[in-house]
Amino acid sequence: MREMSLSTTDDPPWEGLDGPARHAVCLDAARNGNRDALHVLVDELTPLVWHVVRGQGVERPAAEDVVQTVWLALLRNLDRLDQPRALAAWLITTARREAVRVRSAERSPTSPLPTEVLDQVPTTDGQPEAEALRGDRDRRLWSAFRRLPPRCQELLRLTVVAGRARYQAVAEALGMPRGSIGPTRGRCLETLRALLGAEGGTR
Amino acid sequence: MNSTSDDELLARLDRVLERVDPVPADLLDRVRFAIDLEYLDVEVARWERHSELAGVRSSAEPGSVTFTVDDLTVMVSFLRTPRGYRIDGWLAPPGPHAVEVRIDGHGSNTTTADSNGRFALPEVPRGVTQILVHLAENGRSARTVVTPTLVL
Repeated sequence: MREMSLSTTDDPPWEGLDGPARHAVCLDAARNGNRDALHVLVDELTPLVWHVVRGQGVERPAAEDVVQTVWLALLRNLDRLDQPRALAAWLITTARREAVRVRSAERSPTSPLPTEVLDQVPTTDGQPEAEALRGDRDRRLWSAFRRLPPRCQELLRLTVVAGRARYQAVAEALGMPRGSIGPTRGRCLETLRALLGAEGGTR
Repeated sequence: MNSTSDDELLARLDRVLERVDPVPADLLDRVRFAIDLEYLDVEVARWERHSELAGVRSSAEPGSVTFTVDDLTVMVSFLRTPRGYRIDGWLAPPGPHAVEVRIDGHGSNTTTADSNGRFALPEVPRGVTQILVHLAENGRSARTVVTPTLVL
C-alpha cells in the first residue's frame, strides 16, 4: 500500500501540455502520489466518462455512481496501466463495462427521452425569435440523433466529447480497427443528415 | 458538398449534448472527495438495487442501502436526527471489521462491527458521505472496501 502525499510543486510537469500527452504525465505523477495530478485527470476526463455511461442509457443518478466507481477502480489500477497514454481507452472501456452491469440490473432498461429536458431549457433574454428558432433547430437535431442506430449515437457522442486527439482511444475502446473510426463516423453523420432532411427542416 | 459540414454538425451536436445532458455540477467535487483516500489499494462496492435509492439526495427520505463486493455485503440504514444522521449497519459475513464513515468537510467517524456484523454510529453530520470497511484478517487490516458517495 502506498500513501498519498501532498505535492508541493510550484510548476507541475504537465503545465503547457495538452491532450493525451498531458494526461500521461499526470498519470505518472499520480502514480508517485501526486494528488493534484489525479485531480487534473478527474476534472478533465470526467466529462468523457459521464458521456460513455449516459450513452449506454444509464439514468443520471445512477450514472453519477458509475462515474465514481470508475475513478475508484482506477486507483488500484494506477500501476497496472502499461501505457499511460492508454488511460482514456481504459476509462472508456471500464465505464462501458460498469454501465452495462448497472443497466442490466435495473428494471427499466431505457431512460426517458431527454427531449423533455430540452423543453425545459429556458429561453434567454435578448432576441426571442432567434432564440426560439435555435431551440427548434436543437430539438430537431436531438430528435434525429436519438433515432440513429445505438452504435452511431455512441460513436458520435464519444468523438464529440473526446475530441480529435482521442480518436484512437475511442476506436480501441469500441473495438474498432484503427483507421475505421473516421469512415464510420462519416457514415453516421450521413445518416444523421438524412434523418434531419426527412423531417423537412433546413440542414 | 453538404450544406452543413461535418465539423459544423459535430459542433452543434456538442452544444446540444451540453444542454440536454450536462455533467452534474457537483459531480467533480464528489469524485475528488471519493478518491481522496489514504490508501489506493481499495475495492469498490456497488449498489445492490440501484433504482431504489440511487444518488441519495438531502431531500430524499432516509432509508437503507445495500452495497456489495465479491464476498461482502454492507447494509446501511440512515435515521434522521436533529443534528444529522444515525447510521445502523450490518456486514455479511460478519467480522470484527472497522467501519469508517467519511463526510466531506467533517473528517471521519470510525467504529467496529460486533460479532454479528452489526455496527452503529449514533451521530453523523450531513453531507457528502462515503463508507469504508477495513476488513480485518488475523487482527490486521487486510483489505479496504469503499462505496461511491451518498449525499445525505
